[in-house]
Amino acid sequence: MSFDFAFALKIVPRVLEGIGNTLVVAILSFMGASALGFLWEIARRSNRHVRPVMQFVVDAIRSTPVLAQLYFLFYVLPYYGVVLPALVVGVFGLSFYYSGYLSEVFKAGIDLVPRGQGEAAQSLGLSRIHTVIFVIAPQMLRNVAAPLGAYSVSILKATPYLAVLAVPEMLGSAFDVASETYRYAEPMFVAGILFLCLALIAVTLVNWLERYLGVTTPPH
Amino acid sequence: MTSNPTDEQAGMGSIQTVRGGTAVSIENVSKWYGNFQVLRDVNLHVATGERIVVCGPSGSGKSTLIRCVNQLEKHQRGRIVVNGTELRPGTKGLPAIRREVGMVFQQFNLFPHLNVIDNCTLALVRARKLARNAAEAVAMENLTRVRIPEQAKKFPAQLSGGQQQRVAIARALCMKPKIMLFDEPTSALDPEMIKEVLDVMTRLADEGMTMICVTHEMGFAREVADRVIFMDGGEIVEQANPAEFFSNPVQVRTRQFLSQLLH
Repeated sequence: MSFDFAFALKIVPRVLEGIGNTLVVAILSFMGASALGFLWEIARRSNRHVRPVMQFVVDAIRSTPVLAQLYFLFYVLPYYGVVLPALVVGVFGLSFYYSGYLSEVFKAGIDLVPRGQGEAAQSLGLSRIHTVIFVIAPQMLRNVAAPLGAYSVSILKATPYLAVLAVPEMLGSAFDVASETYRYAEPMFVAGILFLCLALIAVTLVNWLERYLGVTTPPH
Repeated sequence: MTSNPTDEQAGMGSIQTVRGGTAVSIENVSKWYGNFQVLRDVNLHVATGERIVVCGPSGSGKSTLIRCVNQLEKHQRGRIVVNGTELRPGTKGLPAIRREVGMVFQQFNLFPHLNVIDNCTLALVRARKLARNAAEAVAMENLTRVRIPEQAKKFPAQLSGGQQQRVAIARALCMKPKIMLFDEPTSALDPEMIKEVLDVMTRLADEGMTMICVTHEMGFAREVADRVIFMDGGEIVEQANPAEFFSNPVQVRTRQFLSQLLH
């Protein structure tokens, strides 16, 4: 059975049926993971008693398989009365898992902001929260744009994990075609190409972001 | 605090004139970094309108001392009272106290992602809750005061060191502080830019601002200071008015320090 290019083209629309969910899950998970990751990092820095606790939480998140976390959320929480739609669980699960990694990215990004920046903000009488929002975060964002872009692609590629929760997405659509036709090469190839296209779009967006952030601060 | 310190204190008589009241009281203050004691039982009272220059070799605790005044560093023993409020660990409303105390850093510490005018208005808008156009008016007024209004729309990286430091002074002045702290404001500058910054500081002193300046600019100390403080090993070794301090230092360590500055 050789690779049939005409068949590959023909099944593109069927594989594309899953792209909506793939995008929704990827975008929401990326936003969720960024928000949670930033929150962990701010909590980790807030005081010395919270720091070891948050460090443990972040390490624990990163040290357990994403599938274990997804299964836990989907199959175990209902025992405690928490029943959520599969898509919501999937988005929350991926957000949670990647928040562990993104908090480390934000940590490095904040470490790169010179100490004097926070001191200058404090000496002007800005509150802690205003210092973070208006002084630290914008400078951190410039430092983390590149790794943030890499993780956005990583999260995009992790969306097929949601198959275990029966959330229909792009790789799932491809798999459906495969099991109906007993041809695997073409659906997987098409799905791979489509993921590649999405990743290229994400990379382009990140490049724009980097250039935009660069514009406000000319190089020395 | 609504009036501008420039207006109410402008036109004061001679430089030696000192207004009544205490701006800063530092009493028996000690501080340690681990086992290393950086401040040893320091006592310093700064009257309102007084200009203090603090000098001493590096590692003598002079920067640490003024950083304790706005609690960028916490002291571990003793009392610090600023504008009538004692600063204790966990003092409530520290931001409010800091708004009354301007600070200028050796490395300028301008916000690189904001242009000059936004650097000046950020704290006015967010901490003082001024409307944006009112804040911009205050910012332009103070940028004019440091003679740099034409650079308002530029970013810090587009300015020379001297210009950046003048913006940093303007940014601090925007909060209408009662006290200004200067932490080696000219040490990171190229020689030809030192004068423009010292000129701004001298004018500020002439307007009656209470100032504590850590600096090695002995010409500035001679011309502007009411009192020169010499620190070494975390303690105040000697203090006197500039004439006395430079011509007739009492302590051996002070004489050694001054002789090293001269060559």
